[in-house]
Amino acid sequence: MAIDISAETARPSEPTEPSSPVVGRTPPPPFRAGGRPAFLEQSILTAGIGAVVGYLFGHWVGNMIAAGYPYISGFSGQNDDAIVLGLAFGAFGWLLGVGALNYPLAKIVGREPAPEVESANWTKYLRFTTDHKVVGIQYFFGVFTFFFTGGLLAMAIRTELLYPTNHLIGPGTYIAIVGEHGTIMMMMASSLVVGPLGNYLVPLMIGSRRTAFPRVEASSFWLFTAGYLVIICALPLGGFPTGWTGYAPLQTQGAGGMDAYLVGFAVIGLGMILAGFNLIVTIIHYRAPGMSWSRLPIFVWSILATSALLTLATPTLVAAGLFGILDRTAQTAFFVTERGGSAFLWENLFWFFGHPEVYIMALPGFGIVSELLPVFCRKPLFGYRVAAAGMFGVALLSFFVWQHHLFQSGINPDMRPLFMLTTELISIPTGFIYLVTLGTLWKARMRFDVPMLFCLGMLFNFLIGGVTGVFLSDVPVDVTVHGSFFVMAHFHYTIMGGLVFAMFAGIYYWTPKVTGRMLNQKWGKIHFWTMFIFFNMTFFPLFIVGLLGQPRRVFEYASNLQVWNDFSSVSAFCLGASFLIFVGNFLWTIIIDPHPAPDNPWDSLGLEWQTATPVPYYNFDRIPVITNDPYHYSEPDAAPVADLTPVPPRVAPTP
Amino acid sequence: MSQTDIVEDRGPGVETPGHALTETPEELAYELRAQEGSIWTGTRLLMGVAIFTYASLAFAYFYLRSSDSFALWRPAGITAPTAYGAAIMALMIAAAGLAVLSTRRLKSNQAVDFQVAGWTTVFCGLIALGLQILELTHLPFFPGSNGYSSCFIGWAAINIGTIVGSLYWSETLLARFLRLRRAFAEEGGASSSPLPAARLFRANADGCAAFWCFVAVSEIFFWLLFYVI
Repeated sequence: MAIDISAETARPSEPTEPSSPVVGRTPPPPFRAGGRPAFLEQSILTAGIGAVVGYLFGHWVGNMIAAGYPYISGFSGQNDDAIVLGLAFGAFGWLLGVGALNYPLAKIVGREPAPEVESANWTKYLRFTTDHKVVGIQYFFGVFTFFFTGGLLAMAIRTELLYPTNHLIGPGTYIAIVGEHGTIMMMMASSLVVGPLGNYLVPLMIGSRRTAFPRVEASSFWLFTAGYLVIICALPLGGFPTGWTGYAPLQTQGAGGMDAYLVGFAVIGLGMILAGFNLIVTIIHYRAPGMSWSRLPIFVWSILATSALLTLATPTLVAAGLFGILDRTAQTAFFVTERGGSAFLWENLFWFFGHPEVYIMALPGFGIVSELLPVFCRKPLFGYRVAAAGMFGVALLSFFVWQHHLFQSGINPDMRPLFMLTTELISIPTGFIYLVTLGTLWKARMRFDVPMLFCLGMLFNFLIGGVTGVFLSDVPVDVTVHGSFFVMAHFHYTIMGGLVFAMFAGIYYWTPKVTGRMLNQKWGKIHFWTMFIFFNMTFFPLFIVGLLGQPRRVFEYASNLQVWNDFSSVSAFCLGASFLIFVGNFLWTIIIDPHPAPDNPWDSLGLEWQTATPVPYYNFDRIPVITNDPYHYSEPDAAPVADLTPVPPRVAPTP
Repeated sequence: MSQTDIVEDRGPGVETPGHALTETPEELAYELRAQEGSIWTGTRLLMGVAIFTYASLAFAYFYLRSSDSFALWRPAGITAPTAYGAAIMALMIAAAGLAVLSTRRLKSNQAVDFQVAGWTTVFCGLIALGLQILELTHLPFFPGSNGYSSCFIGWAAINIGTIVGSLYWSETLLARFLRLRRAFAEEGGASSSPLPAARLFRANADGCAAFWCFVAVSEIFFWLLFYVI
């Protein structure tokens, strides 16, 4: 017998007795039954030890390998073998230390997974765990560690740009900071929504008790943190001179920090693949009975489209990273033109990943906004199917536009109109998604709670980012402003103005569900307005300085641009301070002086709000039967979204 | 963990957390079906990941070949050792064939045949892996001497990773079978046992065989690229 997923709405007219629960699970022994002290448990502490030991081991191996070399043949003048092996073994040691490899290793001798013991102790957040909710929270703190690290580097950049010719830091340090900032932020943004919200919420939203591959999910997080440590190592190793795009031939010539860039991107890329892989399978196979594709929350659709991009586009990044590493260690010549390679090969491979990456960052933001707008507008999501189709249209087309990044170099000029066309085509499904949000707002009686404010802020910012993107897709404009602050302002409007604003909407919205506590709304509004105003004051002037010719990644500029730059820098400091308001609000209302939240503070119909708070270990006592979609806000008599205690469980003969 | 525990557990990838949870038979069947489907879909997605990885290498191959920078795509007479290449490809095809055979034997409840074919798969894969590594020490060119040699080294690195991954999958499958064979036998054998662990094992074996076939096809494709054309 199996539950019939195809049956969607019909309930039996005469409920019968439920099937008796016949299978019980024996509670395992209490936590640390063996009396092992906490510090001996595998955790982030042992992971750190593993990383250090791994790095030293790898470095030693690299030096042993290079001991026979008569000279260092790489451009960097350093022993890249030792650096790469050190970083790779360091990442491996990190995973080994935290326990991510316990089961894969035990499996070699056919052993089963050790039972995981649920813990109420906060230390579970520092350990390898297969509870998707814990992984989601781990991701939350992980991505914000990335975010604030990258943010501090941004402050350093804007400080340097206060003066056109007087310098606080040298050109090499400046470009190292710019590259580190860009790489960290891009890595962060790839997982900003999928990591915390995707892992935490998707099973709840589809009525599942778990994800399909919990260990894969947990491994993705620990790879993510390993990648962070590796990429941070780039600074003490001399940084990298390429910015976040890693272009050859600078890539081949860069110092040891370039190794950290390549290894870091490869490690995080593996984590991104695993995260997307797990979520796709979960959404396909773990939807509760009645959760048909047409009832899937739009946020889950966005995660599905994003996960498809993560899973299929990221392998190209990992492969390109491998080629770069081979160039710097095994002395291959993938990107060395004078030895039969081509610097443009990196550009192609990188942007084949890099442009879908843009939508990896944009789509979840639209997913959040589309999910939240009906709640605060109290009306159904306008054009649900159009939005879902638009997301997949964007995902598909994103594989066919990468060459627009090469309009200036590395492309046959005759091919430019084709890629201009494909790039402009992608604005059509993007426009669908945008219009769906506007259609939902149309004639709505909006509630201007903090999540709604962030949603509206996202729509405003993304409009500017999107429209300038259409300009940039045109070859004449792109050739004119390529490599300038105009491009930089454009993508900050789409990623920070779009994704980060949407993420904060999601944080304010779902925090009561995750923590059972309510973020202070007054301080939330102060946070929103300061962030919104100073974000625009920071980045809008950069369109102007870009059009006036200021190049990105250069620490000097024409003195007539100082006013705009100073305006932008001071605004950036205020923007940075606005995040402290959020941190203060979070610490105060969640940890120091917690305010219990109502069970469903926003009167949402979403399935995730129908289960208990805090969410039980298995999410739902019974697998729910979905009976309606979650957007019937204007229909008071609509059927409930789900039956959480189905009687009897919907059954059908096994096919 | 005793064998009884293993059989009562719902198979690989499922935790047995501390919360006591009672599940109806319908829920158990539903989750079991989800797990079986996850293995099927996961296998195909894994192939997708591998395809995009291979495609990156193929793109590099054709891009550098068509660019022919400094006329250094592939100077005359530069070819990777053909004997190694042919042997590796043949072994990988044999391994894939044996993996398919072992799965078929499993379905016809011939446990011994399944194990023999399975371990032979592992053996073939190990030999191929050894040859692939050995080949790197017998290359008639320096890795960075031209575009072809660079692509070849990249292919070798990816191939080693793929072979190791495929071997891991086969070996863990066989090790699991060794642990569970008696439990399966008591319930009618691995091919027909209704135990959740047996159903998941069959799904896993199918996935493993499918992945080996995919790897064999990619071996043929890249053998043509690097050794023939």
